Amino acid sequence: MFSKISLGRYYPAHSFLHDTDPRVKTVLYAVYLIAIFMIKEPVAIGVLAGIILLQLIMGKITPSILWSTVKPIIPLALFVFVINVLTIRDGDVLFSWKIITVTSYGLARAAIMAVRLIFLIISTSILLTLTTTPLKMSDALEKLFAPLKIIKVPVHEMAMMMSIALRFIPTLATETDKIMKAQQSRGADYDTGSFINKVKGYITVLIPLFVSSFRRADELAVAMDARCYKGGEGRTKLNPLKMTVRDVLAGIMFTLLAALVVTIEFSLR
Amino acid sequence: MPEDPDRIVISDVSFSYDISEETSGKAPRRALDGISVTIEKGSYTAILGSNGSGKSTLAKIIDILEVPDEGRVVIFGKDASEDDLFWDIRSGCCCVFQNPDNQIVGTIVEEDVAFGPENLGIPNPELRERVDQALKDVGLYELRHRETTALSGGQKQKLAIAGALAMRPDILILDEATAMLDPSSRDDFLELVEKMRMEKGLTLITITHDMTEALRCDKLVIVNKGKVAMEGTPEEIFMSEDLWKYGLKRPVKFNFAFEIAKLTGNTLCEADLKSDETLINALIKMLQMPLTQVPSITWEEEKPKEEKEIIMSVKGLSYTYDGSDVKAINNINLDIRKGEVLGIVGESGCGKTTLISHMNAIFRPAEGDIIIHTKDGDLACSNKKDTMKIRQNVGLVFQYPEYQLFEETVYKDIGYGLKKMDIAKEDHDKLIRQAAEKVGLTDRELDASPFELSGGQKRRAAMAGVLVMNPGILVLDEPASGLDPRGRHEMFSIIKGLRDSGTTIILVSHNMDEAAVNCDRICIIDKGKIKAVGTPKELFLRKRSEELKIQRPRITRFSSALKTELKKYYPGIEFKRRYFDPAKEAAAIVDTVIKAGGADVQ
Repeated sequence: MFSKISLGRYYPAHSFLHDTDPRVKTVLYAVYLIAIFMIKEPVAIGVLAGIILLQLIMGKITPSILWSTVKPIIPLALFVFVINVLTIRDGDVLFSWKIITVTSYGLARAAIMAVRLIFLIISTSILLTLTTTPLKMSDALEKLFAPLKIIKVPVHEMAMMMSIALRFIPTLATETDKIMKAQQSRGADYDTGSFINKVKGYITVLIPLFVSSFRRADELAVAMDARCYKGGEGRTKLNPLKMTVRDVLAGIMFTLLAALVVTIEFSLR
Repeated sequence: MPEDPDRIVISDVSFSYDISEETSGKAPRRALDGISVTIEKGSYTAILGSNGSGKSTLAKIIDILEVPDEGRVVIFGKDASEDDLFWDIRSGCCCVFQNPDNQIVGTIVEEDVAFGPENLGIPNPELRERVDQALKDVGLYELRHRETTALSGGQKQKLAIAGALAMRPDILILDEATAMLDPSSRDDFLELVEKMRMEKGLTLITITHDMTEALRCDKLVIVNKGKVAMEGTPEEIFMSEDLWKYGLKRPVKFNFAFEIAKLTGNTLCEADLKSDETLINALIKMLQMPLTQVPSITWEEEKPKEEKEIIMSVKGLSYTYDGSDVKAINNINLDIRKGEVLGIVGESGCGKTTLISHMNAIFRPAEGDIIIHTKDGDLACSNKKDTMKIRQNVGLVFQYPEYQLFEETVYKDIGYGLKKMDIAKEDHDKLIRQAAEKVGLTDRELDASPFELSGGQKRRAAMAGVLVMNPGILVLDEPASGLDPRGRHEMFSIIKGLRDSGTTIILVSHNMDEAAVNCDRICIIDKGKIKAVGTPKELFLRKRSEELKIQRPRITRFSSALKTELKKYYPGIEFKRRYFDPAKEAAAIVDTVIKAGGADVQ
């Protein structure tokens, strides 16, 4: 079940968004993050949904890929929705039973919260993880944060660590799956019993997972050493980041679209 | 002494890994202890030795991944202790390690190949050309935009080779690089590496447990306790009687040949080992000479196999993974009889693991079912209520089980399942000790932390954790992978002991040689379907194997070549008895030749 985790996975394809400079995508991501958290009005949300749809098309992301990224977040979105519905008591009461009160305002707020969360995941996926390989992403972060090197922030190392972490997500997911199966065949049961027991059950999975992660880290470090890795100094790039006119235009266009959404939002308030 | 630019010279090198404060009471054990080796430029050398003998450390010293505590390392005339030569030497030497997953840095195939040359600071038109060339060399060019995690094990190791080639090295070190591959990808991989060696003039150093692989080399170096125990050509080394002392053994065909020599009162010489042809000629000569004394050969009478009752039946089992269109296993029907050792053989990705995961209901059958017949009635894997009972009756040991240990002590780890299975507390101690005894763990090892044990001990501890439930059926997925020849031998002795005590064993393997010797029946799986089931003798008849397109065990291939030759000298000779154990097969041939009139008549 863990081997199917799609969060943080790259989707290999050739598309406009895949080819867009990752620095532009990273900046756009920050812009959209702000936009997502500023909007409340349905019209603005609708326009934003339209923009996201446009991005999906430009990234050639199929509905099934989209579904697999959104699916894991749905329980959380539902949880957020329910909590909001139950805790917000302003507005017209639609339904009331014992301590449960559902209001129209509460429903609307809860829906917005859930939608925001889903937009957040979709944006992260299309602008970053699905269309950008971890190495490109770390290149982008390294370049964007390069000024911090002046104050001795190890920018290259941090970027490298991040890309390796992403590279190992599927590997460790498979490993987790293997450990759980082995323990299940010795009688472990992760689905039943009290909450405490469940947590305890996962500890027995985490220990061998940690041990093996350390072993992998060790082996990977040796392998990187053997391939003459010595930090960012003097490294060249197979696919160096190149900012083209097209990238700049795409950046400007999507920034303007985000601005449009925010403008609609404020004009309707 | 002028430095020789055409040699790797390791002289009197000692090295120990940093040992933490706690255990530093005594001097740390040296991984390398005054080792001296010379390797010629362009040669093909194998470094052999048992697990923990120091052979991997030696490889790291050559690639200066570790700096020796004492001694001198000179690579092609460059002294490794000189700081300004450090990167020069290291970039000229590349390693491919055992675990494909732990040496891939990039998410995309071409990004990973570029990692090495990027580190060297190769500028761009050349960098692109190197990456493309390396990918074409290993045959992965078409897959250059694939995700690295989507590759098969064999492809991942080829990717590692491409990553090395892109650095344009002089030396390529394979550190057990084929250990995790199945036989066909292994042959594929070795052919590729040897081709690259010829084309690029590489100096190739391979560390391996596979003696047949070692035969391909020009020179063998046997490392034991951090020292060179023996070195020489494969013929010289395999003449030696001391191999077992170092955890090694001869390749199967040599075992067989030496056995014939012993039975006929002869000895083989180095020249005989040169090729299959010389070896067969030597053996034929031996078999034709008058025997000074007829060897006494006793035969275990082959009992007609009684049909034991069926203990597990797999019925029409199919399974498809989510998001895949292909059935991982497709309509599997298989009966397993009580007390037998059934081998399940097939290439990586053929569905072996999917099949065995159903056997104790880790995967619940989606289509078809598995019925376990026990003395308390039948259990169905599709029935959720039976799950715990099934897991008590069918023990499943996955590949590399040692990576799954987690308790503070081995004792507790073995007992983990008992707590989960609601077995009376007062029996725990007895059961744990019995399980430990079955796999040969001592009391001292029971009290140790699992992480203090050696690799082989860890694996046995993990097996005990499954055996503790006294399962009637034990499923083992590649139980001997990664172990040295002695470790493999011990593992199969344990399995034999379990079988003798009445446990039914299902053994997953991709090693035909071991499956043939150790299994009563073999089930061959290909692309999710059963291709054939039968005794090794049925399946490995020449005609049948050709029909099935399976490779026969090494011993059978060599022995039938010998038999074909013998038929020229003894027209009409018939070899009735066939064995997969080299010693027994040798005895059978000697016996048949003597009875055919043998040398005495001639």
